[in-house]
Amino acid sequence: MAAVLGVSALYHDAAAALVVDGRIVAAIQEERLSRIKNDASLPARAMQACLDLAGLEPGALDAVVFYENPYVKLERVLVSLLRVFPRSLRQFPRAVGAQLGSKLWVLDQLADLLDVPRRKIEHAEHHRSHAASAFFTSPFEHAAVLVVDAVGEHASTSIWRGQGRELGCLGTIEFPHSLGMFYAAMTAYLGFEVNEGEYKVMGLAAFGQPRFVEALARVIQLAEDGSFALHLPYFAHMSDSELGFGPALDALLGPRRPPARPWDLSAETDRRYADIAASVQAVTEQALLGLARRAQALTGARTLCLAGGVALNAVANARLLAEAGFERVYVQPAAGDAGGALGAAILGALAHGDERPAAMQTAALGEAADAARARALAQELGLRWHVVDDVPAELAQRLAAGKIAALATGRFEWGPRALGQRSILAAPGQPEMRERINRVVKERELFRPFAPSVLAERADIYFEAAPSDMTPFMTTVCHVRPERRDELGAVTHVDGSARVQTVTADSAPVLHAVLEDIEKQTGMPVVLNTSLNGRGEPICGSADDAIGFFIGHPVDVLVVGDVIIEKGRSA
Amino acid sequence: MMRARKRRSLGQRLWSRLVTLGQLLGHFASRQRFFLAPLLLVLLLAAILLVLTGGLSYVAPFVYTLF
Repeated sequence: MAAVLGVSALYHDAAAALVVDGRIVAAIQEERLSRIKNDASLPARAMQACLDLAGLEPGALDAVVFYENPYVKLERVLVSLLRVFPRSLRQFPRAVGAQLGSKLWVLDQLADLLDVPRRKIEHAEHHRSHAASAFFTSPFEHAAVLVVDAVGEHASTSIWRGQGRELGCLGTIEFPHSLGMFYAAMTAYLGFEVNEGEYKVMGLAAFGQPRFVEALARVIQLAEDGSFALHLPYFAHMSDSELGFGPALDALLGPRRPPARPWDLSAETDRRYADIAASVQAVTEQALLGLARRAQALTGARTLCLAGGVALNAVANARLLAEAGFERVYVQPAAGDAGGALGAAILGALAHGDERPAAMQTAALGEAADAARARALAQELGLRWHVVDDVPAELAQRLAAGKIAALATGRFEWGPRALGQRSILAAPGQPEMRERINRVVKERELFRPFAPSVLAERADIYFEAAPSDMTPFMTTVCHVRPERRDELGAVTHVDGSARVQTVTADSAPVLHAVLEDIEKQTGMPVVLNTSLNGRGEPICGSADDAIGFFIGHPVDVLVVGDVIIEKGRSA
Repeated sequence: MMRARKRRSLGQRLWSRLVTLGQLLGHFASRQRFFLAPLLLVLLLAAILLVLTGGLSYVAPFVYTLF
């Protein structure tokens, strides 16, 4: 019986997760508390919040496990820099300075921050942490586990066999060959922000034709055995921390798209970039299919768990479920680096003799929204607020009337998806609603789709291949049934897909009740669900964040716990 | 933010860093990376200076590949 805190930090998406006696008590990304998008700093706030939720002092921890090995990381950085010397000359002082000046000492910094003995601070391996976050939260006793990201210590891709409490590594592909790096470099080429714009490439891909697949075969070579290799002259990620691709890519595909230029998909130039996005997505899916088939050949498993940043590619995950030969596929909600904190905590708990956690039923592992605080703040700010007995019925009524509602209820979500705890909800029927929310609420590209949330027990009526092990966490897409697309115009992407969330009373009780009520009113238990944040902001965490969002954005109503706040001043 | 706690003593913090140095040297020894030792030694001296001067931070999109 142990209390183990897992920590990921210093690169992107810092997070902390706490496992007590084999149970996941809390898992929190630092950005939700610091209000800095993709905050990578040591997650002091998240660690404290996890401890507070468990009612523990740091001294009660049996171990603190950092999600990767800083010594191997240093070795890889040194060897990589030396390998491309003198091209790395400009980066060398900064890279070495960052490693030796701060990142090498991360375990000491954790000991200092928590005031725990240094011997309690341990480290795991980056890809093992990822694999653990996927397999040990899955419902599977035996599975193939595929980890695909940009890079950890050395590995960028790894295949594991998960069996009960054990994880065994069966093979790796090492840096600089990296599928995550390929996708990131192409994200930068298309003018999007790396580590943030990958979703946009995925959404944009549906608007294009994959006519550059042949050209991209020169950039990334896929082998028969499922492995792949980057053709390094097209890339710069070994010597340049800013761009990731080299002039050879411009020569092959034409000039990169200027960042921040507004998109116009009716113009030939932007349709061409959409075609490149479609080709990048197609090549990535092909590479993942090869890896998944290899994982199946090595393990003989009928179930697959995925982790790593590339596992957030919901479109690819859907293809893996449909075509890779597995009966079931699972991706936990924080598949990216934040998830490493959860994996590290679970690995620590298992090492202390605890049982593996129960399968993850809900992503609501953060801090709770404080309705009393919302009441006090609304009163202080002179907002029009009232308390209601039946929040779901009130909310459903407004949604059915075409209102856009912000919802902050219960504990906030783990991972990048809003799953009914910190969500913006709206009616799913009209495409105009998508345009309105994209344009004035989220202030983002008009081509970006919105997700539907549906009662799990009715999902099959509206969506193909739903529910599945991934749909509770929005880590896959499903095709909207053709006869339902007119009813779901705001949440059906141009290719007929939707990133569905299937909702149960266990996973998101308030949203579940809202869907039941809205079904009574409209006959359809579906809502548009997008994250409760503005452009460039992390998803809201506290009641303060939610009210701040409500004041600054044109949504009609905000619900925090049992408090409903509407636009306009109080009488 | 982390609740205010008493600052660890100089001895505790120094011991922590020595543990890290020991683990670092152990890693480079066990992985037969002796050829990196002279480089590492020079860089560590630079690192001590960086730590003493408050370190540095740098953010870039592909920072995780190099830093």
